Amino acid sequence: MTRQSPKVGVYGFTGCAGDQLMILNCEDQLVDLFGATEIRSFVMAKSDNHEGELDVAFIEGSISTEEQLKKLKEIRERAKVVIAIGTCASHGGPQAMKLGEGGWEERYRKVYGNAKITISKAFEAQPIDAFVKVDMYIPGCPIDKGEFLAAVSKLVAGRHPYLYKFPVCTECKWKENPCILYAGKFCGGPLTKAGCGAVCPSYGLPCVGCWGPTDDLNVSSEYKLLKEKGYNPDEILRKLRKFGGAKVAQLLKDVENKGAKA
Amino acid sequence: MILKMKKEDLSTFLDSVKEWGELRGPTKKEGRVTYSRVDSLSQMDLKAARTIIPPKKFLYPPRFTMFDYDQDGYTERLGDVPKRVLFGIHPCDIHGILIMDKLFLETYKDPYYAERREKTLLLGHSCIPDDKCMCIATNTDFVAEGFDLFFSDLKMFYLVWVGSTKGHDLIRLKPELFSRELDKNDILNYTEYRKWKNSQFKTKIDLTGMPDIFELGYGSPVWDQLGDKCLSCGQCTMVCPTCNCYNVVDEVELGALEGTRDRFWDSCMFREYSLVAGGHNFRDKRSDRLRLWYTHKLQAFIGEFGKPACVGCGRCVETCPVEINVVTVSTALKEQEVGK
Repeated sequence: MTRQSPKVGVYGFTGCAGDQLMILNCEDQLVDLFGATEIRSFVMAKSDNHEGELDVAFIEGSISTEEQLKKLKEIRERAKVVIAIGTCASHGGPQAMKLGEGGWEERYRKVYGNAKITISKAFEAQPIDAFVKVDMYIPGCPIDKGEFLAAVSKLVAGRHPYLYKFPVCTECKWKENPCILYAGKFCGGPLTKAGCGAVCPSYGLPCVGCWGPTDDLNVSSEYKLLKEKGYNPDEILRKLRKFGGAKVAQLLKDVENKGAKA
Repeated sequence: MILKMKKEDLSTFLDSVKEWGELRGPTKKEGRVTYSRVDSLSQMDLKAARTIIPPKKFLYPPRFTMFDYDQDGYTERLGDVPKRVLFGIHPCDIHGILIMDKLFLETYKDPYYAERREKTLLLGHSCIPDDKCMCIATNTDFVAEGFDLFFSDLKMFYLVWVGSTKGHDLIRLKPELFSRELDKNDILNYTEYRKWKNSQFKTKIDLTGMPDIFELGYGSPVWDQLGDKCLSCGQCTMVCPTCNCYNVVDEVELGALEGTRDRFWDSCMFREYSLVAGGHNFRDKRSDRLRLWYTHKLQAFIGEFGKPACVGCGRCVETCPVEINVVTVSTALKEQEVGK
């Protein structure tokens, strides 16, 4: 190899740390991964960490405190490429499912009461691209090993990673599953980015949308269809917003506004 | 050449063809009908109307590696394709493969398709139309070519069409099971069977004149109404026996200069499909993408090859969650109204 190993940092904010764990779970490739890259900082994996200039920063989790925000901006400044890993960093995750609806202070009080929290001022969780420029997204809950390693391998080789842009339904058909949305189940496949290998529908379970929204989605048609199939609007909104982030929230708002006018 | 075989001999015959290659046939597990690897006739479900994915998956898998590369060059991955005998392929799907043959074997021969096609024998089987079959409208309810053998189930016995020398080689594995003696009753039985099959169709659509209807309806608001419904999920293209578009991507080994070039099914229903350099998209609207697909199937293909690129298998009818399929689209265009 003539190319220099890229300097990499792996960071976690508000999330379950499942994406970082998935990186460590790449057992067969871990030696290659640590060999092909220079891992400067990865607190979950090692204690000897150095915070300096980075070629690539992988960031997991959403941002929900002033302290996190400060650190995120600081990482962005010293990283050439910022990659959001996991659905929380990419779209906000379940903790951001009410984003834009208001009432966050009340929800915060319900959980923490009137306790004075002095560590850092908290705010409603948001995806990292609400604050900094993100160069690439590797969504998933947690991320898929194969997708992650394929992307890293490309980055190490100085090439552009390629991730599927189509929805789960395509992979679901490759797995030869009958369409469970067609059969009347509440399946979020058409709105959800592929990459998981349609694992849930392959076991007869509907897609809950954990990979987050796909690039080109028709929320209004899915909403109408689910209503026709007998699901109540509250349930539809709740389920579609669980991993949908601001993008799905906005599209659902458009649907509701249209419905109110009609 | 047409031969006659006793129904009870089919099992023995299929056991013998395994000498040529791995046996594949339609199976049903937990309501899921697929062409799968089988050991014998007893594992197959010959009554199922259709599989979720057509047999194109054997000739052109959803995702496969074309070749391995390194610094010095590349090596084609063709040697690992197994020899296979597909049994129970319905006429519509054989018509689908004939269309794939036109696209992948004629002007620009695709070595990956050609290799798999060469190593695959097609043993067709007659079928009973269900409420979604419409092959009678696409003139693909019977088939005269494209198979190696074709078995027509005439209740007491099979009439077996021999369609190729490879098919004839299979017969020669068990010549004692086949008879060349056909009499007047066989002809009457077969004629009766054709009449009966024709009477079984419940989906009545008329596709004659479709090229004109498409031409007339090119600017119709019906396309926007359909575009509003389309989920862009791509299922229709994955299950269609004649959809053949693909994407190509290079994978690379971690920290190395070697890797693979892979190919996977793509769909014109996706925005990315028509995205070009500079960010321009020449079919950015969902309605434009839908119109392209249906125009291709029911108008443009007829202009080029004299028949539609729809074989009437009914898979789009059985798959699209928002009921956009050959029946609803052709009807909507004719009636200038989208149903429901």
